Amino acid sequence: MARLARIPGVAFLLVLLGIVFGVFAAGFASLPNLLNIGIQSSTLLLLALPMTFIIMTEGLDLSMGAVLGLTGVVLASALVAGNTLIVALAAALGVGLVFGIANGLLVVKLGLPPFVATLGTLGIAQGIALVVTSGESVAGIGPALPRLYASRWVGIPFSILVAIFMYAVFHFLLYHTRFGNYVFAIGGNREALVLAGVPAGFFHVSVYALAGLMTGFAALLLTGRMNSGHPIAAMGMEFDAIAAVIVGGTERQRGNGWLPGTVLGVLAVGVLRNGLNVMALPSSLQVASIGLLLIVALLIDSIRRRRL
Amino acid sequence: MKYRLIGVVLIALALGLSSDAFATPSNLLNVLRQASLVFLSASGLTLVIVGAGLDLSVGANLGLSACFAAAAIKATGTLFAGFSAGLACGIIVGLMNGLMVTKLRLPPFIATYGMLWMLYGVNYWYMKGDTIYGFPSEFRSLGSGDLLGIPIPVYLMAIGLLAGGIFTRYTTFGHEVYAIGSNAEAARLSGIPVSSRLILLYTLSGAMAGLAGVIYLARLNSAEAGIGSPLLLPAIAAVLIGGTSLFGGNGGLAGTMIGAIILTLVLNGMNLLGINSNWQPLVTGVIILLAALIDSLTRGHAELRA
Amino acid sequence: MTFGKELKFRFKCLGLLMFCLGVAGCGETKDASSGTKRETIALFTKNQTNPYFETVRVAAKAAAAEQGVDLKNYIPTSNDSIPEQMNQIEDAITSRPSAAVFIPVDAKAMIPGVEKFNAAGIPVVNLIDRADGGQFVSFLGCDDYAVAMNTAKYLLQKMNGKGNVIIIEGQGGSSNNQKRIAGFKKALEEFPNVKVLASQTGNFQRNMALQVTENLLQAHTQIDGILAANDAMALGAIEALDAANRKALVIGMNGTKEAIDAVKTGKLLATGDCDGFLQGCMGTMAAVRHLRNLPVPREVIFPITVFDSTNFKGADVPYEQRMCPKWESIVKD
Repeated sequence: MARLARIPGVAFLLVLLGIVFGVFAAGFASLPNLLNIGIQSSTLLLLALPMTFIIMTEGLDLSMGAVLGLTGVVLASALVAGNTLIVALAAALGVGLVFGIANGLLVVKLGLPPFVATLGTLGIAQGIALVVTSGESVAGIGPALPRLYASRWVGIPFSILVAIFMYAVFHFLLYHTRFGNYVFAIGGNREALVLAGVPAGFFHVSVYALAGLMTGFAALLLTGRMNSGHPIAAMGMEFDAIAAVIVGGTERQRGNGWLPGTVLGVLAVGVLRNGLNVMALPSSLQVASIGLLLIVALLIDSIRRRRL
Repeated sequence: MKYRLIGVVLIALALGLSSDAFATPSNLLNVLRQASLVFLSASGLTLVIVGAGLDLSVGANLGLSACFAAAAIKATGTLFAGFSAGLACGIIVGLMNGLMVTKLRLPPFIATYGMLWMLYGVNYWYMKGDTIYGFPSEFRSLGSGDLLGIPIPVYLMAIGLLAGGIFTRYTTFGHEVYAIGSNAEAARLSGIPVSSRLILLYTLSGAMAGLAGVIYLARLNSAEAGIGSPLLLPAIAAVLIGGTSLFGGNGGLAGTMIGAIILTLVLNGMNLLGINSNWQPLVTGVIILLAALIDSLTRGHAELRA
Repeated sequence: MTFGKELKFRFKCLGLLMFCLGVAGCGETKDASSGTKRETIALFTKNQTNPYFETVRVAAKAAAAEQGVDLKNYIPTSNDSIPEQMNQIEDAITSRPSAAVFIPVDAKAMIPGVEKFNAAGIPVVNLIDRADGGQFVSFLGCDDYAVAMNTAKYLLQKMNGKGNVIIIEGQGGSSNNQKRIAGFKKALEEFPNVKVLASQTGNFQRNMALQVTENLLQAHTQIDGILAANDAMALGAIEALDAANRKALVIGMNGTKEAIDAVKTGKLLATGDCDGFLQGCMGTMAAVRHLRNLPVPREVIFPITVFDSTNFKGADVPYEQRMCPKWESIVKD
């Protein structure tokens, strides 16, 4: 019973949406469509996983969408210049890492509130992306990335595999390593860490650096999907990531995190959007439903908390 | 606070030296007008943040209120209807936010972010891709006009500041909001009815967003769905650059005014100097960081955290 | 949570999912047996806020009704969002429309999306904005570059080829914006005595264009013309001019109702467009013709109209009252 209580309200909504769309949306429950949902949600999940860690440390990263745009541009430009995919990916990861570390240092060493620090780096990343590309998309990235993106392994599309793999990595990090313990501690009880002699600052910065690194991987998926790098294609994604994390049960105030919840949060929005698209319902309704989903999901949790 | 003012002066000096057109009375008033509009959109948000809350729906609220106000003016031919409609929309949205945060115990980020989406859904559905435009000049002067040579929005900002000052210093409600922002538990224990105060706070914030929507309508002379969308991040930036902390309990409207002025100066300067527009986000981001850094250094955070 | 308990939880979810699949399976067989469906056209427009696209949608709906087909609309929830339009293409393919009419959010980034339609065997008509790749039945539209160039030339001619202009650009990162600015610049080349004082972005938004114009009015005492990359920004610039009591010739692009009204009252010099309503009609009709095996040319380039005070009447009809023209009257082969 206690474990059932851990499951956030969004899980029930996810199941409900699945059933409703399954019945009313022709084609929704077909395998190709379900795989589509996975593909469509994979980029967001790559952002939401590190965001979970950040939120557990009572932080936020608003710059992820802008940095993703920049890393996408870097990846695409490196490919256009003739580099191999590995080299291009390394470049993208490097740029993402730089921004991640910068965010971490601003928050941890300089003590800036995360909202402000990442709002600043958002502008910087977006600005660099726009200046470097003069506002144009970077096309002509060659066949290597599109081929990889379109590839399937045991019938599973590449982007879903990446998402599953990254989830496994983060799950392991959070629940089975000391790093994960530190992440819990930084949010809930930072002083204990410091007293124990652990370099809390270093791990705290790492959480942001990890987010920056992940935007590099996300760039692989996004650039592969668009067959080009686009400076502002990912603007606003960080808000969706934050919403997915919070709706998934991670609470800002208590350093309390539940990683599977993040997956549920990402999937719930993905299923909702997909189902509404498949039914071709008016776009204004889709906009309103997304808001309603978020609120109802947490409302369910709020009501259940009071009953306990 | 004084470091911020120094910052404003420094930026102004730099711009004045690099551009002939900057330091003219005409341009300075121009900057003040633009800053007033940002201030108005961020004023409600400031108070909510002081109370340790967050309202991400201000942009959407502003936009929807503007659309309802526009429709009301067109339908009845009176400005009073417009103000009432805009204010009513703002109040209702604010009230719903307040209830979600207090009675339903939803975290403010999700409650107001969810509200943002719902408001845009209503807005898009209501406007059907159209615009409502063409308003009487007396109305438009609220946004674009002058009184005794000073832009009217600047008077509105002054009134807002004055009201904010009175609110903070001389009203019980104001004291309570700061107390709640500093430490909600302690406030509750000392007898402050935190829930009802928060509901009132969010409702007030919504009302101010609604009014700001009407002023934006006057300035733009047109309402379209999504007016508010680009206004959210600058509003948040103005509040944060102004020194109000997201943790609540400090800061205020004066800071937001400074923040609004700084943001406006940046755009004004870049336009005057003809700097390629692609650089704008970069410069804005740097300014945000600088303002926060100065704040942090002067508060001695560097020592505490490192 | 231990790994074992997690597995159990996941199995529970999987079980529920299987249940859904089962139910859906029943749902689907019911559908298939209900007889032949009407043909469906999937229309992809860029956003919900620009009146231009509403005109296109209204026209498409009229054309679809006339032709006896269903129309389904796909509009991103975030304006002009590339990832969202890509998702909507995939989701639309799931419901197997008979054909698609497609306005790409970005000329290059959406190529993989078009290729998805191609792979699914769904014929696509490219409407209004040209996509830089993918297989299309036809392209119907005009060229933003040419529209911008013609509209700018018109203004520069009205200025008698001398004076000062400012350019209000659209959003950096938009392929339309690049084409329009390039068109403006090409026009300016033919008028060497016109000086471009400034070129700043208004992000295709009215408020920002207003603010930028205000600032530029401060910086430059003599501005004779304003080239705005869309109507919303042109109208914002006009508000700034009005407020500052200054005059200048302003042009916009899109031919929206509000812009036409501004042309009527003399505030706006002209707005350049290829008739959104007409394009909406023709795009839909082209798709239907293709489904009915009627000939559709590879390209239909619509004439550019620079709507000014002399010729706005054609565009001044509320679109609810307009009817789609006959295909043969527009496409003469």
